[in-house]
Amino acid sequence: MHGMETHLPASIEPDLKPSSGGGRQFVTFSVGRHSFGLPIEDVIEINRSLDITPVPMAPPHVAGVINLRGHILTSIHLAQRLGIPDTGEQKEGILHNVVVGSREEPVSLIVETIGDVCTVPWEQIAPAPERIEGIHRRFVKNVCKLPGRLLVILDTKDFEEPDGEDMRRDLGAP
Amino acid sequence: MGMEDDILKDFLAESKENLERLDQEFVELEENPQNEDLIKSIFRTIHTIKGTAGFFGFTTLEGIAHFAEDILSKLRDKVIGVNEEITTMLLKAVDHIKAILASLESTGKEPDDIAYLDFIVDLRNFAERVVKGRALKTPQSPPAPAAEEKTETVTGPASEETSQTSDGSDQPSRVDEGRQGSAMETPPASAPVSTAGPGPRQVNPPAAEPPASAHQLTETHVRVDVQLLDRLMNLAGELVLSRNRLAQIAGTLNNPDLMAANQRTSLIVTELQEQIMKTRMQPVGNVFNKFPRIVRDLAKAAGKQIQLRIEGAETELDRSIIEVIKDPLTHMVRNSVDHGIEAPDIRIQKEKPPSGTLVMRAYHEGGQVIIEIQDDGAGIDPARIRTKAVEKGIITEAQARTLPDRDAVQLVFHPGFSTAEEVTNISGRGVGMDVVKTNIERLGGTVELLSEKGHGTTVKIKIPLTLAIIPALIVRSGGQRYAIPQVNLVELVHLGREALEWDVQTIGGSEFYRLRGEILPLVRLEDVLGSPGGRDRRDDLSIVVLSTGDRQFGLVVDGISDSEEIVVKPLGKHIKHIPCYAGTTLMGDGRVALILDVMGIAASVNLKGEERLREAEEKDTAVGEERQFILLFSLDPAEVFAIPLALVNRLDKISASQIENIGGQEVIQYRGTSMPVIRLEHHLPIRPIPEMEEYHIVVFHMNKRDIAFLVGRIEDSLNLAVDVDDRVYKGGGILGSAIVKDRTTLFLDVYQIISRHDPGFFAMPAITEAGRGRILLAEDSTFYRNLLSSYVEAAGYEVVTAEDGLEAWEIISEDTKGPFDLLVTDIDMPRMNGLELAAKVRGSERYRDLPIVAVTSLSSDDDKRRGIQAGINDYQVKLDRDHILGAIRDLLSGLSYKEAA
Repeated sequence: MHGMETHLPASIEPDLKPSSGGGRQFVTFSVGRHSFGLPIEDVIEINRSLDITPVPMAPPHVAGVINLRGHILTSIHLAQRLGIPDTGEQKEGILHNVVVGSREEPVSLIVETIGDVCTVPWEQIAPAPERIEGIHRRFVKNVCKLPGRLLVILDTKDFEEPDGEDMRRDLGAP
Repeated sequence: MGMEDDILKDFLAESKENLERLDQEFVELEENPQNEDLIKSIFRTIHTIKGTAGFFGFTTLEGIAHFAEDILSKLRDKVIGVNEEITTMLLKAVDHIKAILASLESTGKEPDDIAYLDFIVDLRNFAERVVKGRALKTPQSPPAPAAEEKTETVTGPASEETSQTSDGSDQPSRVDEGRQGSAMETPPASAPVSTAGPGPRQVNPPAAEPPASAHQLTETHVRVDVQLLDRLMNLAGELVLSRNRLAQIAGTLNNPDLMAANQRTSLIVTELQEQIMKTRMQPVGNVFNKFPRIVRDLAKAAGKQIQLRIEGAETELDRSIIEVIKDPLTHMVRNSVDHGIEAPDIRIQKEKPPSGTLVMRAYHEGGQVIIEIQDDGAGIDPARIRTKAVEKGIITEAQARTLPDRDAVQLVFHPGFSTAEEVTNISGRGVGMDVVKTNIERLGGTVELLSEKGHGTTVKIKIPLTLAIIPALIVRSGGQRYAIPQVNLVELVHLGREALEWDVQTIGGSEFYRLRGEILPLVRLEDVLGSPGGRDRRDDLSIVVLSTGDRQFGLVVDGISDSEEIVVKPLGKHIKHIPCYAGTTLMGDGRVALILDVMGIAASVNLKGEERLREAEEKDTAVGEERQFILLFSLDPAEVFAIPLALVNRLDKISASQIENIGGQEVIQYRGTSMPVIRLEHHLPIRPIPEMEEYHIVVFHMNKRDIAFLVGRIEDSLNLAVDVDDRVYKGGGILGSAIVKDRTTLFLDVYQIISRHDPGFFAMPAITEAGRGRILLAEDSTFYRNLLSSYVEAAGYEVVTAEDGLEAWEIISEDTKGPFDLLVTDIDMPRMNGLELAAKVRGSERYRDLPIVAVTSLSSDDDKRRGIQAGINDYQVKLDRDHILGAIRDLLSGLSYKEAA
């Protein structure tokens, strides 16, 4: 796995969707059948599969810890976190880490494929619907209807903070 | 404004450093009043403060500095000599200056408190008195120094940016930072009530050599933000990882040039990392330095004479640790001064020098820093500690009586303990030694207390060199690596298949290992971490013996790798709450490994220290009884039985169909042989075991053979002090009864039951031959007395029992039940202990040569040595039947001819 730590700039292929004045830029990626977006300013960098050290006893969505140039980050299994049924085991080799959050303690989200950076006009950003099939509603901030697909916009803050519920459960566990 | 702020900041920082030094200098000055350099240095510091205070318009500060300088100038010019009164006043001035600086730092203003003005008045009056009272004649005397100093002034002020040579009077002139120090002014000018006398002489000499040293300081030292250092250290760690990767690539490419270049890089990187680490290190002297002053003040307040000796001040420690040890050290020094070192008159009575010595010593040892605080005072009186502890309800009177001195002394670390008769203003401020201990332990360190009554006390603190980098043991479990901090590590044990079978016992869900006679609970790391994967029966076992301070346990891991220095990194928010981890670290290959939290693991498997406490509380129900692990089991749920766990070799489950009936005996196939299985109801008046599909068996391995009890249920294993009552039940395979966990529990005599089942089981040819011995057994615990006499009798000897050493001695000296061929004695007994008994026996006419076997529940080498000095021939662990009988046999056969004489 050494030498695989290719550092892709977050603003990959910016030309595809040149940022016009009237929109917001999102880094897009997919997990399962869903497309997700995170505000570009929340994304620090994107890395290809780093070695993950599992952390026994951790909440199920914590995939482990990774070394990002000397910083140790918690790696979140995004599919698990969002409640998406786990189908992507065979895609192991091409998983990506999307590093997001604050400079003090960023977290890495494990996703399957990285998409473009899209600029979505403000008027296309809609509030989250009541229900999105297969995803925990509380992580969804907005949705954007793009041609042929629905882009689900996530809120970075939800991933930075551990979940009170998880912690209680873990602490109570024998 | 910004610029002025900067200057203020610099001024505060610099003054703080200088003031720290002042404390020490004053104390030195007192010892060595003739030291002009010291006076000059002090003068300089105060002078600088005065000047800058004037520049900023801090009038209170300026006033205090001014009058202090006044007094100092007289000292410098030898108009007056140093004495305690003056030093005290000047130190007070320093304290006030410090307080004002602190206020400036936090609020940007001088404190608005009349007390400071009061002090200025006091100081002024004092200065005046000093000058008039003692030094009127002197004004003209010191031309010489003045001249000398004048020449120095030229270079003087230039170097220190804040050093304002122009004193108080013309403030405006120093707006331009006073760099051009307009020296020669009379100091009192600005002060309303100045002490005119010696004024002219105050030729601003301070500049003399300060410039030189101050100059150097600016050239060789830079202030660096600690965060920057931390970042540098991170980067260096990263560089190491990159280098490792590069080395791998170079290795694959097999290019000699690349390899050579890489090797060189390697060396440099290592060096770089070391150097960066060093930037965080500070000499422990930075903390020690404040103690001369503290000790002086404390000693004075307590009316004691104390000399402080500092050794190893240059010993370096990580700065974050230095911060944390400050308060614990202060507390311990206070303790030494307040409680340790006696008042001079008492010391003289005790034929000690009137002045006590307090040593603060720091040195490196085995990758750790040791700090010792040693006094030659009264030491800690265990008796007083006991009384206090009982008064405070920490221990009961009964416990106090049996508590050894060494343990009693450790009670000072108990929360809520303070021996101060009354709360003095020196110690007893609500911080106890328990806080000291907690703080040090939080750093991964330990505190040890050694005290000898009448000769003094030494507190020894061991702390890691740095918190950021710690030595750790890398272990493997479930395919992952984990780091265990070396401070918790006691030893490593590797068990081969053989040892695994004999020495590891499983009781219910818990495993135990018999480590040199002590029962060590085993914890499997994979279980703690809940890793999946079956418990495959391995042929060997790697045990890491860990200590949580008051308790040891064995952590079973898949493998043990290496010992390594690791860089500790914090846990992320999502995993911080898991008690098993203390942090994360990067391994050489760039992967992350988790650092285990030994306390956390102990807690998660319920090996809590509190349990010990609780057990200690239970202890007073059984005074004098020794604690041991016992195994509780039942046949029918209504009756609970107990046996010493140490006798048990193994617990197992068998199905009813495994039991075969051969020749009227029930046996099962076990470890390759037919093992007899005993049904207890055949030998004891108890309810029979109900028919079950599956039974538990308790396997014993004695006399080189296996034999088992068939039982219905394993209830529990407990560590407790057994107070066995043999009045109700005794004999017929029962040692007695006791209440355990609120139930009456019968303690079984395993040996007797086995010999009833198979009278030939314990047959030892040698014993019958040497047999016919009459043995006196002194043992205070009913349980052990019955157990020991049971198996010694079973081996064919005649046994006379005594309940303690004194009774045994009475039996021997009255000679009613003798003669005896051998004495078996416990060591810890009330009234007369085993050592005293042995000494008495050795001193008697008749039994001078009587073989003596001592039995203890656990024996240390130290005990053995003392025992041998007292004349004990052999030392055995109580429950180790085979060895005890062997010892008896050997001693009897070897000495039988002597007895004839």
